[in-house]
Amino acid sequence: MINRRVITVIKREFKEKLLSKAFIISTLLIPVFMFGILGLQTVFMSIEGDDGTNLLIVSESSEITSKLQTELADKDYVTEGKYLLTYKTVNEGSRDEIIKENKNDLLGESLTGVIYIPQDALEKKEIEYYSKNTSNISIFDNLRGPVNSILMNIYFQDKNLNEDDLVFAQRWVDFNGFKVSESDEIKEEGVGNRILSYLFTFLLYMSLLIFGSMMLRAVVEEKNNRIVEVLLSSLHAKELMTGKILGNTIVGLIQMTIWLLPVMVVISSTIFVLPPKFTIDLTMGHIGYLLFNFFVGLMTYLGLFATVGAIFDNEQDAQSGMWPIMLLIMIPFFMSFSMIKNPNNSMAMIGSMSPFASLIIMPARMTLVDVPAWQIITSMAVNIGTLSVIFPIAGKIYRVGILMTGKKPKLKEIIGWIKAKN
Amino acid sequence: MNALQVKNLTKRFDNVVAVNSANFEVPEDTIFGLIGRNGAGKTTTIRMMMNIYLPDEGEVIFRGNKVGQEFKDRVGYLPEERGLYKKMKVIDTLNYLAELKGKSGKAVTKKAYEYLERFDLKDRANSKLEELSKGNQQKVQFISTILHDPEFIILDEPFSGLDPINTNLLKEIILDMKKEKKVIIFSTHLMDFAEKMCDHIAMIDNGKIILSGALKEIKQKYSQNNVSLNYTGDISFLDSLPFVEKVENFGNTTGIRVKSNDDTQNLLRALLDHNVIVNKFDANEISLHEIFVSLAGTEVEAVEKEVKK
Repeated sequence: MINRRVITVIKREFKEKLLSKAFIISTLLIPVFMFGILGLQTVFMSIEGDDGTNLLIVSESSEITSKLQTELADKDYVTEGKYLLTYKTVNEGSRDEIIKENKNDLLGESLTGVIYIPQDALEKKEIEYYSKNTSNISIFDNLRGPVNSILMNIYFQDKNLNEDDLVFAQRWVDFNGFKVSESDEIKEEGVGNRILSYLFTFLLYMSLLIFGSMMLRAVVEEKNNRIVEVLLSSLHAKELMTGKILGNTIVGLIQMTIWLLPVMVVISSTIFVLPPKFTIDLTMGHIGYLLFNFFVGLMTYLGLFATVGAIFDNEQDAQSGMWPIMLLIMIPFFMSFSMIKNPNNSMAMIGSMSPFASLIIMPARMTLVDVPAWQIITSMAVNIGTLSVIFPIAGKIYRVGILMTGKKPKLKEIIGWIKAKN
Repeated sequence: MNALQVKNLTKRFDNVVAVNSANFEVPEDTIFGLIGRNGAGKTTTIRMMMNIYLPDEGEVIFRGNKVGQEFKDRVGYLPEERGLYKKMKVIDTLNYLAELKGKSGKAVTKKAYEYLERFDLKDRANSKLEELSKGNQQKVQFISTILHDPEFIILDEPFSGLDPINTNLLKEIILDMKKEKKVIIFSTHLMDFAEKMCDHIAMIDNGKIILSGALKEIKQKYSQNNVSLNYTGDISFLDSLPFVEKVENFGNTTGIRVKSNDDTQNLLRALLDHNVIVNKFDANEISLHEIFVSLAGTEVEAVEKEVKK
């Protein structure tokens, strides 16, 4: 199927795309954008929006009040002035009185909330929060630790425990992950691979979207400005489509390789030593699989985008026709992200071997768990199989659609194009 | 010897028969005109001839074999609706389209520059198409049609949307090609033009070929006993004359068919006797337009026919 004419088209597409500003800009900006998003997420997470929080902490025990006051006094949110805390000790059962007293302030939001620590908190560890808005999780997160530690201190102080025992009792359990693999050594695993699986998922997703929409626009443009008729007087529609798709896929592969270059350098050389927390456990085989998988997958997707472009003769209509493909890209994208929490779930396994989804999910999954060889081979076979089913169908629709102008074809007609003998 | 032979070609779109078992031949070394009104099926026929559309029935034979890639490589095609890549440079466009036809290398580029020079576009070789005026874009498209030195040139409604300068330029190209013994096929709804340029024609109406052959023979056949008349006065008496078979008003001229060749003199005498001022009296002459109208009816009649259906 690849002949002189297809190669001519490939050359044109390749040259046009590779030298385009869009290519250079996206190659440089996507990684910047990606890390930008990660950074922004961190920034947004750190903005808790609880500046100017004004809390009244009421306790039924003067011991709790004074200890809590000492404990909280040197917390960042107090010293930085984000939280304004006032303390009060009351007699047991004064809850209603306190709330009544402060009701207007609470409703007027000059007082953010009242934290009420009853005497029995020392047994039940239950405290109460009164506010107009009780879903302010960051307040709970900030106060839970200190309050817990005060309650524990008071509870254990009569039980003859020394300081070390208390420190031990208050410590959280830490899970340290050790990855067991075919090889003999057992490595302590950092977050490096998790970051990589985010990276792979995101890059594959962006690349599909960018190249897909470029392909769509190019086909609609060719159809619109009628150059396609000149081209078809020289070559077959399938040759034109194949050339366009291959040209763009090669450019996509080059871009993906550039993006992954830093990863390849890190895993294949010892020049860069990452801090242990970020160590990457990955082989060049993974990268090789990712690129192969991407090549096949991008061809499949570009076939779909070219088909949609050929069906519609203006960009607005084409955008609406693009949605089914967008779902095919977005669903695996989200599946992949949810998988990062639990790579062994069965949805991830099925997704990583399903048509269309495998492209995005498998590379991320491979960085997280040891995927058995048969699954990798299955996913390759599925990808190649999908391509070989999609390509001829796309070719048929493309061939008829590309010369159709005027009214939008109905689904029935498009199915007719596929069924047509030629 | 026929260069192309169109056999029983049929194409349907959504149950509308665009071309209905069309048959005609395009001989070697001719200018061939496919003539018909807008929407008659000309473009569809041409697209099938070039294997852009696959016919539902029938085939196109190119020097003994079904048309395919071999024919595509040898043809230069100028579609009715013209367009090129807007962002591509003129010289790149020309090289690319020639390369698709299998012609590449320095020789082609050199020839492209020669054509650009001839068409006053040499200084625009490195401009993007979108930077050129519409007329200049059309010139680039002409060059791309002939740059690969095709044996066949197919032009679909070549003069639609051309300014007078480009119209003349294209005529010049066509005549040059004729001198070089290339086969030129064009479709047009302009009868006068076809009459002046073509050696062979096929007339298409409502998807059907209603007439085809060498223009000379067709005219001879249809002009027998025919008189083409320009006049002032009243000619209604003609209907009552026994030797007049048919009087048809073609707008500019009136066509009168008489029973035998000798009756043309009787007709002239009768006109003079009835004080009709004769401006033009052309015996044995009939225009392509007249033939077309007598076969397919006028535009108005065609619309009426369509409505009755």
